Amino acid sequence: MELLQNLLTTFNFIVQGLWVTISVTAVALTVGLAIGLVMAVARVYGHPALQMAVSAYSVVVRAVPVIVIIFILFFVISRYVNLSPFWAGALALGFASGAYQTEIFRGALQAVQPGQMIAARAIGMSRLQAIQSIVLPQALRLALPAWGNEATLVLKDSTLVFAVGVPEILRRAQQVSARTFEPFLAFGVALLLYLALTLITTQALQWLERRYRLQV
Amino acid sequence: MTSPILRLEDVHKSYGALQVLKGVSLTVQPREVVVLVGPSGSGKSTLLRCINLLNPPTKGRIWLEDQEITAPGVNQDRVRQRIGMVFQEFNLFTHLTALGNVMIGLVKVRKMRKNEARDLAMFELERVGLADRANYYPAQLSGGQKQRVAIARALGMDPHIMLFDEPTSALDPELTGEVLAVMQKLASEGMTMIVVSHEMGFARQVADRIVFMEGGVVVEEGTPQQMFEQPRHERTRAFLRNIAQ
Repeated sequence: MELLQNLLTTFNFIVQGLWVTISVTAVALTVGLAIGLVMAVARVYGHPALQMAVSAYSVVVRAVPVIVIIFILFFVISRYVNLSPFWAGALALGFASGAYQTEIFRGALQAVQPGQMIAARAIGMSRLQAIQSIVLPQALRLALPAWGNEATLVLKDSTLVFAVGVPEILRRAQQVSARTFEPFLAFGVALLLYLALTLITTQALQWLERRYRLQV
Repeated sequence: MTSPILRLEDVHKSYGALQVLKGVSLTVQPREVVVLVGPSGSGKSTLLRCINLLNPPTKGRIWLEDQEITAPGVNQDRVRQRIGMVFQEFNLFTHLTALGNVMIGLVKVRKMRKNEARDLAMFELERVGLADRANYYPAQLSGGQKQRVAIARALGMDPHIMLFDEPTSALDPELTGEVLAVMQKLASEGMTMIVVSHEMGFARQVADRIVFMEGGVVVEEGTPQQMFEQPRHERTRAFLRNIAQ
């Protein structure tokens, strides 16, 4: 009975971090998506100088541990711009994810048959129109499996914002554990919450994949 | 004598050191059907891609109707609208239905309203006999059907001239007939066409003129009768005899 009581209290405290975890992940994925799409198009279709710049961004950001990017935003950038821990953490994650998403979309853009672009130009579309209406819609479908994988990675990376004090699932679990001296219970609850989130995310993405599968 | 719809003057195309076209001049009259033949690597496909500026010539000039389309500052996208192109590999947009394939150019390029575009796209699909396949995706269509959708897609742009780049070469033999029939119908409706093809039956029946290319130049041209029965050049004779077998 006491165990159940403990479990309930622990759960109730930790689950308040659920929304924070979801928000951090959603912001990071959205920012990463915007960066990734723009960068990938620039990388594949842009001026050679632009392509170089994008490659450099992608290589450098992927070489730096995400936690370091979070610290840079939180301890350095936030001295000049007013950034809450939440926004510093979420934007840093988005910035990092942007580099990975750039590579995902670059690969997808390059996987679209060259004939698609040629046929689009042949009916009088401009390059930009062809990219928007023909190549990108196909590339997005091709990118879905890899993007779904990135989404689950960002979900788990969202635990890193704990380091700057954002009260997400892991931080709350740690707080409970420090107070009750029952780390198994606390981190067990955290584990289950992440598991549930990951399952829901992957299911949703698989549904999207089926819905938008390219027939070849 | 009407004024030509298309005129090529000394068109060259090189890729680096590789010279593919070495000075091609050609004039096409409105409503004329020109069949372009020649061994592979002779520059036929390159010539088509020069004409619609997908790969603009490195030297020489091209006029479409009264406009020099190789002149600097020409809006190439607008030029391509007037030139329909059909590819050997169909190149249908894989994420769109047959109807969507025909509609997208109408909506994005011709800026038509959706329902207007849908009506015209249906009309074009009917023209190629595929109204009942409007909601099929390319993967659900046979090769011949794909190519007919591709023709409908090109027709939707209301082209003044149509280019066909080996339209039946990727098809199983029993499917070439339906595509050739559509092309023959187009020709009889007065469409100006340049066709790269090895279908000699089609060339004999439909072509007003056959142009034989080899090594990046036009070797000989004439009516099907002249070309098949008394070609002036030995190479033309050898090629046509080979292909007829």
